[in-house]
Amino acid sequence: MPQQSPTARPNAWWRRLLASASSRAPLLCALGATAGLGLAGATLLRRIPPPVASVPPGYVALVNGKGILMSDYVAQLMEVDGVAFSEATPQQRAAVLHDMINEELLVQRAVVLDLPETTTEVRTVMVAAVNAQVSQPALAMPVTDAQLRQYYDSHRSAFMNGGSMDVTDLVLRVGGYENADQSFAQAETDAAEAAYQLRAGAERAHVIDHFGFVRDDNLPAGEQPDFAVKLHLGERLFAVAATLEDGQVSDPVSLPDGVHVLIMDRRVPEQGADFDAVRSNVYTEYRDELRRRAAEQNTLLLRREARILLAPGQRE
Amino acid sequence: MIRHSSRIRSGARRLAIRYFRAALVLGVLLAIGAAWSTHVMAVARLRERLLLTPADTVAQQPQLVRMAAAQARPLFARHCATCHGATMQGNPATGAPNLVDGVWLYGSGSVFDIERTILYGVRAETPKSRNITEMPPFGLTGILRPGEISEVVQYLLQLSGRPHDGQAALAGRDLFLGRGNCVDCHGPDGRGNSDYGAPDLTANVWNSGGDAAAIYDSIYSGRHRVMPGWIQQLTLQQIRALAVFIHANSHPADTGAAGAASHAATIANR
Repeated sequence: MPQQSPTARPNAWWRRLLASASSRAPLLCALGATAGLGLAGATLLRRIPPPVASVPPGYVALVNGKGILMSDYVAQLMEVDGVAFSEATPQQRAAVLHDMINEELLVQRAVVLDLPETTTEVRTVMVAAVNAQVSQPALAMPVTDAQLRQYYDSHRSAFMNGGSMDVTDLVLRVGGYENADQSFAQAETDAAEAAYQLRAGAERAHVIDHFGFVRDDNLPAGEQPDFAVKLHLGERLFAVAATLEDGQVSDPVSLPDGVHVLIMDRRVPEQGADFDAVRSNVYTEYRDELRRRAAEQNTLLLRREARILLAPGQRE
Repeated sequence: MIRHSSRIRSGARRLAIRYFRAALVLGVLLAIGAAWSTHVMAVARLRERLLLTPADTVAQQPQLVRMAAAQARPLFARHCATCHGATMQGNPATGAPNLVDGVWLYGSGSVFDIERTILYGVRAETPKSRNITEMPPFGLTGILRPGEISEVVQYLLQLSGRPHDGQAALAGRDLFLGRGNCVDCHGPDGRGNSDYGAPDLTANVWNSGGDAAAIYDSIYSGRHRVMPGWIQQLTLQQIRALAVFIHANSHPADTGAAGAASHAATIANR
């Protein structure tokens, strides 16, 4: 057994560990891992950096880190008080800045409250704003007469002059309606006879008295636009009236309130409006169409880039 | 022995020379580094000062104007020249205004006004962009007939001091003041209103072309020019530099030597 020299120092434990390759490797790994964990921990637990202490150049204030532009501040001052920034009093400046900070706070609060999610008005405004933005390039393109004409030709039904009519609605009441005691069958026979006489040239007042017709009070006297007549007569009677020409008398029309006979005094049918007469409308409609198309294209693009999942059984 | 010691001495001398050279190179490098960092810091300070200085007083500070021009020139070439042209003279085909003629659609052409336009654009459909009005299409919509538009054109030629048909101009004036309702934006004297971008028709400056045919087309078809806002694309500091640069080129006299130099540089590039 070799004798240890009295002057030789005993090997330190770490020397012994490092001397052997088999113990050195795990030791170094452990040291590396410990250092890495330590660094990660220090990064996670380090103090959150304090908020920005000063307002960056170009801004007049920071509200929860969000800047209010100096340019906006000056513009607001001019808009509210009508004075240039250099001429505004300190009170005016302070009041405007106060309002702008309040506004920013409320906007930030709105974001926290997620108003776009919960408030219809906010959603509507946001949708309109995006659509308006994407349509600007299309609206900036010059419009020509040829484009307007082409649009007019392909959308003629949108540019009709609404018709009008002066029509009289005579009714024979039946079945207890307004104390009438005659039957439907009787009323229909009488109405057919009355229509025959009217067509033959009998005097209207005489026919009314003879058969006991009443005028439909719902229908205003004189010439009315088609839509107004339709509103008063209802779909079925209007459909009959629309087929009559000046001076014609309709066949009897049976409705729950009685049997009607229509006399058309004057008919101006609906017709396509002349291009020059509706240029302004065509221009407006054409530009609206450009807006719609731009908005649709934008939506398509958004949908292509979006990840949309539907619940089972749902379709859109 | 003597030879040996002399060899030692010459070796030491060579070493000293080598050290000296190395020290010299290091010193020069350090000096260049120091100068460069001083320059960078000075530019950074100037850029900060450019933003901190109220927009409308920047033009009176030649050092700031020079710095802004140096920074803005490549920015203008990259982002603005496509529409306004490398020489800032605009493009009648697209309606991009001439920026060096001293005539401004919006505001008075101050640094503040120019900066607002760059920030938020024109008809860019953001609430802060300049989008109150646009030139309506009087012919396309049938408000005025072609003959009437020609009369208004003659009146505008008269307003801008050019040869015109007196009789037609008289009729055009009636339309301008009456049924055409041009006065609503351009004012009874035709001098426009820079609050909402109505051009001064007496200045004889025409963004979309000033000959009779081009004016006719502007009235007949209307104009809906759009300029994008740059607040999302450029930094505030870059926008301020661009505004100062454009202002300096359009007001060479107001901005003193720096403005004149900047203006001259732009002109020289034409």
